[in-house]
Amino acid sequence: MSELETRLLDRGQSAAAAPKTELPSHKWTMLIDLDKCTGCNACVVACHVENNVPIRSEREVIRGHGQHWIRIERYWEGEGDAQRATFLPMLCQQCSNAPCEPVCPVYASVHSERENLNLQVYNRCVGTRFCGNNCPYRARQFNWFAPQFEGPITEMLNPDVTVRSGGVMEKCTFCVQRIRRVEEDALVEGRPLRDGEMVPACAQTCPTSAIVFGDRSDPQSQVAQRLGGQREFQVLEHLGTAPNVYYLKAGGSDGGAG
Amino acid sequence: MTEKISRRDFLRLGAAGAATGVLAGCTSPRRWVVLEPFVRPPEQQVSGVATWFATTCRQCPAGCGVIVRLMNGRAVKLEGNPEHPLNRGKLCARGQAGLQMLYHPDRLSGPLLQSTRGSREFSAIDWNEGINRLFQALAKAGPAVAMLGGATMSDHLFDLFSKLLAAVDAPPPVIYDLYTELGGYRTLAQAMGQVYGRAALPAYRLAEADVVFSFGAEFLGTWTSAVRYGVEYGAFRSQPYGKRGLLVHFEPRQSSTAVTADDYVAIAPGSEGLVAGALLRLIADGNLGLAGRAESARGLAPSLDVEQAARECGIPLEALQRLARRFADAEHAVAIPGGALAGSSNGMHAARAIEALNVVSGNAPAGVNTTPPDLGLARKSLNTFADVQSLIARMRAGEVQMLLIHSTNPAYELPEAAGFLEALAQVPLVVSFGAMVDETAVWSDLILPDRSYLESFGYEVVSPDFGSPVVSSQQPVVTPVFDARTTGDVLLTVARGIPAAAAAMPWDDEVDYLNQMVAGLPEAAYPASTAEEKRARFQQHGGWWPAPAVAAPTLRPQPFTVTAERATFDGNETDYPYFLHVYPSVLLSDGRGASLPLLQGVPDPMTTIAWQSWVELHPATAERLEIRDGDLLRVTSPHGEIVAAAYVTPGIRPDTVAIPAGQGHQDLGRFARDRGSNVVQLLGAALTDEGGGLRWNGVRVALARTGKRIATASLESKVGVTEGLGYE
Amino acid sequence: MAEQASLESPVWNRPLPDDPELAAQVREIREKHLLQDARPPREVAEKVLGPMARLGRVFWLALIVLGGLTATWLATWAYQAYQGMGVTGLNRTIMWAPYIVNFVYFIGIGHAGTFISAALRVLKFEWRAPISRAAESLTVFALLVAFTMPLIHMGRVWKFYWMLPFPNQRQLWPNPRSPIFWDMTAIFTYLTCSMLFMYLGILPDIAIAREKASGWRKRLYTVLALGWRGTDREWKHLDTTLNIFSYGIIPVMFSVHTVVSWDFAMTLQPGWNSSIFGPYFVVGALYSGVGAVIIIMAILRKALHLEYFLREEHFNAMGKFLLILSFTWVYFYFNDYLLPWYHKEPILTVIFRLFTSGWAAPLWFTMLIANILIPWATLWSRKVRSSIPALVGVALLVQVGMYIERYLIVAVTLGYPELPFDWAVYVPRLPEILITLGVFAFVVLGITVLSRLVPIIPIWEVVEGQLLQGTRRIGRAIFPAKTEAD
Repeated sequence: MSELETRLLDRGQSAAAAPKTELPSHKWTMLIDLDKCTGCNACVVACHVENNVPIRSEREVIRGHGQHWIRIERYWEGEGDAQRATFLPMLCQQCSNAPCEPVCPVYASVHSERENLNLQVYNRCVGTRFCGNNCPYRARQFNWFAPQFEGPITEMLNPDVTVRSGGVMEKCTFCVQRIRRVEEDALVEGRPLRDGEMVPACAQTCPTSAIVFGDRSDPQSQVAQRLGGQREFQVLEHLGTAPNVYYLKAGGSDGGAG
Repeated sequence: MTEKISRRDFLRLGAAGAATGVLAGCTSPRRWVVLEPFVRPPEQQVSGVATWFATTCRQCPAGCGVIVRLMNGRAVKLEGNPEHPLNRGKLCARGQAGLQMLYHPDRLSGPLLQSTRGSREFSAIDWNEGINRLFQALAKAGPAVAMLGGATMSDHLFDLFSKLLAAVDAPPPVIYDLYTELGGYRTLAQAMGQVYGRAALPAYRLAEADVVFSFGAEFLGTWTSAVRYGVEYGAFRSQPYGKRGLLVHFEPRQSSTAVTADDYVAIAPGSEGLVAGALLRLIADGNLGLAGRAESARGLAPSLDVEQAARECGIPLEALQRLARRFADAEHAVAIPGGALAGSSNGMHAARAIEALNVVSGNAPAGVNTTPPDLGLARKSLNTFADVQSLIARMRAGEVQMLLIHSTNPAYELPEAAGFLEALAQVPLVVSFGAMVDETAVWSDLILPDRSYLESFGYEVVSPDFGSPVVSSQQPVVTPVFDARTTGDVLLTVARGIPAAAAAMPWDDEVDYLNQMVAGLPEAAYPASTAEEKRARFQQHGGWWPAPAVAAPTLRPQPFTVTAERATFDGNETDYPYFLHVYPSVLLSDGRGASLPLLQGVPDPMTTIAWQSWVELHPATAERLEIRDGDLLRVTSPHGEIVAAAYVTPGIRPDTVAIPAGQGHQDLGRFARDRGSNVVQLLGAALTDEGGGLRWNGVRVALARTGKRIATASLESKVGVTEGLGYE
Repeated sequence: MAEQASLESPVWNRPLPDDPELAAQVREIREKHLLQDARPPREVAEKVLGPMARLGRVFWLALIVLGGLTATWLATWAYQAYQGMGVTGLNRTIMWAPYIVNFVYFIGIGHAGTFISAALRVLKFEWRAPISRAAESLTVFALLVAFTMPLIHMGRVWKFYWMLPFPNQRQLWPNPRSPIFWDMTAIFTYLTCSMLFMYLGILPDIAIAREKASGWRKRLYTVLALGWRGTDREWKHLDTTLNIFSYGIIPVMFSVHTVVSWDFAMTLQPGWNSSIFGPYFVVGALYSGVGAVIIIMAILRKALHLEYFLREEHFNAMGKFLLILSFTWVYFYFNDYLLPWYHKEPILTVIFRLFTSGWAAPLWFTMLIANILIPWATLWSRKVRSSIPALVGVALLVQVGMYIERYLIVAVTLGYPELPFDWAVYVPRLPEILITLGVFAFVVLGITVLSRLVPIIPIWEVVEGQLLQGTRRIGRAIFPAKTEAD
């Protein structure tokens, strides 16, 4: 138990209630309903703002250094003039069996069993980029240069999130700073987390509510309720990475036939 | 930056100004904000603990409620206001990027004077001098003052401008910008007026619809309120009992709305009204659908040959019949007109034809925005392009001594053929209230930068739905970052020296104005006993809305006729072989987002291109002209030409090329400048047949290679996604 | 040992048979085989030490050019570290390319030294004696360069020591599951062993050089010789140590490139994830390494006038090795392609077709021509193997081919992950080109300078080999043979 947690517990009501030594474990899971994704990019911008992800210049984008923790991948389906675009929001899949973790020589990419998260320790990263290569989703973003925030734009940096230096790998964290905050709030108030209390920036802003986030281990949570339908799939499921981001195929509602 | 001027100093300065027959800001002391050091932090500021303030987003005219997260006095995140009935806690990409509007490095600090227009050589003056100059010019100009405003201007500011102009007997402000023109706001409202007798923007409850026919309405990207329709769309897709609504979209180009549609029909440009007419005809002739539909359609359907209509629209007749049956069979079918059809030559006809479908549907969850008259609130009304043309004519005739410009950028947004800049040369004084130097500010003499929307007060009457009015509140959430001054206070200060205006605008400052406005509002959804609490709650909750949503007034269609023909286009087919499809960029909208790196650097959803502008063309077109991605093309229309890079995509008709609006700025800060090209330069200044709108969806273009090529700043692998390696 | 030989007439003074026919045969044998063509040790030493000390214009020119390129490498590295990795042509899909290609390539040619010195020593291939030190020096410099490559490649090179297991108060250790950790371990071990192995072998020769040198060279050799006097005890220890090293270093050699192959084989990248990568990489390494040694031999022979030591027989034998390794490499290479071709996994098919008919086809076919077609078409002929220019030409082609092969694996294959949205092409930019040129120059520079500082031909091994050689007459024919002194 960290010192912070101890202090938070000390602030609790009774001493008898205090000796709860561990934070509860969660199975944080994201569900993306592709039937509702409109490719509006609100999640992308929200993520940039929440997580201090730098915007790369035109020259950098041309050179393949575009940096987004979540991006809208646009694919084409069909042949000829019947081709229709589809959107696939792609972000770190928070694999339970993450290919990026074993390859990191310095343990900068580590797993949190308690939170079901794949963590990236920025200040431990030495920049071998092995994790980035080994991510079949190419969800990991490398800081090819040190980020630049011009003028007063630095004022809008989120103080809860580190600004990563150049030469460091970064990726979606499921807004771990928000997870910490709600966990600590719940700890102080001596109650379990409520479903829907923890919302990452992308899910928060998603106008169509295509992104749903929650704790899969809570059977009453919205994600747990919606998992297991016919439309559910995971990207590159066959690789055995066991992602914690689930997708729902477009073209059907939860209750209806696919 | 710290305004350490005490009130006394300030009054003394004001007195010194008064001695020379001018009047400076005797504003209320309550408006003075002094930056506090953190050794003595404001009460609500605790290090590490966030504070939230509710205000209104002004990135587009919709007026979503936002809450701003502040850490140590810095705004670090915008989120949708969950209580706000318009956006219900959600926000779009442009709204999310709003913080960069506040912290933009190129924002102006203090008023500027430009000796020669267009020289970009500005000299800084202090606020007293700036206000005095405005006052003197106003006093001299008399009624020869004109005001051009944009739709994102706060309603209270519109009221103050209107009152000031009325006091000097000048014509009322002209509210016009490219965003609302591309959205067809004005034309659609006029069409609603013809159909229902209520000229206001149409609104739809998608969550209650079974079938939605969208006629080029990019309601999930840019049209009216993408956030509200996004929320509605989410509910539309998962309705109770597993019901899922069906969306059919008609557009010449696959927009993100087309992509999400179940059925996308690539119709010929300008044929939306014809499609609607043919659908009506098919329902009428085929006796299709639920009881009463065919009878209703028979009264409205235009006389046309459906086979020929199908051919003209580029849809197989069978598909058209299937769609007609689907529409007629649905209990709650709704048809939505988009912006592009409103900008066509036959915009009003098309809008009426589409509204006729809603009339046929009978119980379409559709209606029009309303401001209940008993609220007594001022609300902007948009002007047509014809009104802008008459303003330009007045300017050219020398009838305008002084032009005030707020939240619009006519030098960038108006087609060259409108002759705005030539007419501007005839205006002795041009005052811009832009927070940054935009294209229009470059052609003005005096810049009195307004604060960003996150630093200012205001309100906006939004109607998320038909029936229940919402007044969204705007309040400063941070201490001002730059030495900008709210235009409302500038106007009130100036008004004090003009007796008629002083009488019409008796408020100390804009806060005083807003307090009185709030005091007049009826009971809100949240309890508030005293007037003081009412004011506080108004700002705390982010606005005013009635507790139970007011039932929608039933709309009774008046007798109207539907005509259906295809829109006409400038330029003949041999010289200009391609239709030009202009659309507002999902991120940059009409160009106002171009100043923000967050919107520039995030890839466009359909092309995944960031930072650039492009011409979308069909692979067949590209093959015929031997064009590859990134080839710089000279796009020529009868009205002008631009150079833009090619982007080959299967998501467009072979006879059409599409160019997004938004890039091609010469000014508007370091991130927007010299980037891509401005599609507006291809447009003429002709009016639509009816209603006085700009006929922006009505040009044909020719393409030619320049021989130069640029690298496309796209996120996707074109080889992987679109082209393949050629052996799949 | 010397005493044994001197019991009869000295080996360099052995008389020719009286029979002229037999004498001609012996002369021919002596001309062909270095070890049969014995000369007095003093003369042998002089043949090595003499040219070594004469630094001609060409040497200085080479030094300036190669030194300049090496300095450019270091300056570019500094620039890249200061600016960020973004100055390279790497992108969000291809996060590894130029430096890892170099890394694999240089580790590869580093295998030759060990193979020739240690493996052939163990197998008692006596003819390898004059080649071994050149091969070892190639190993050492190639490994040095290979060792820097992952460092150059790192985003935050100033934190490189975090990959090493060193005690620290945070109790943070490197990750033993990561192939990079084992890369570091294996290369470090291999580099250390190779350097020690080489140094041990040089000791007696430095002692010889110490006796003949004067001035700064004398002082240098006095220090480097570590007081070698050539006592029986010292020879005995040297022999034992070299034997232990020889046996020990061979498994290290095999492990190094296997571990390097794990950097690729252990990932999920299609085209990398292959169980055959271990042996395939080792054979590929030997293939390119033997080729590189041939080139170095030819250069040294020319530059240091080593015609006496490096004869046709050596080039011929190396040519045979090259051919055999080519066969073996092809076996593994096509094994790696056969299965994907057979089971038609979509993404592997994409990569396969990219090589056979996509934009990478020119590279792929060049590689096949350089690695297979030309070696197979030429090396079967003794004439080609014995002609130094022809053999060097083939060896150079093999270098090109093997470099392209690594480039295709690392820089091209990596651009094709499972999701086609992310496909990318890597195009090198100036920093990588300068650094790659610089490291090649550094390896050549290192060998050039080393060949002027230490005897690049192991004098004592040649002399020892000559002492043990003799001829045996069977009927009317004379054959080279070993004496029983062993």
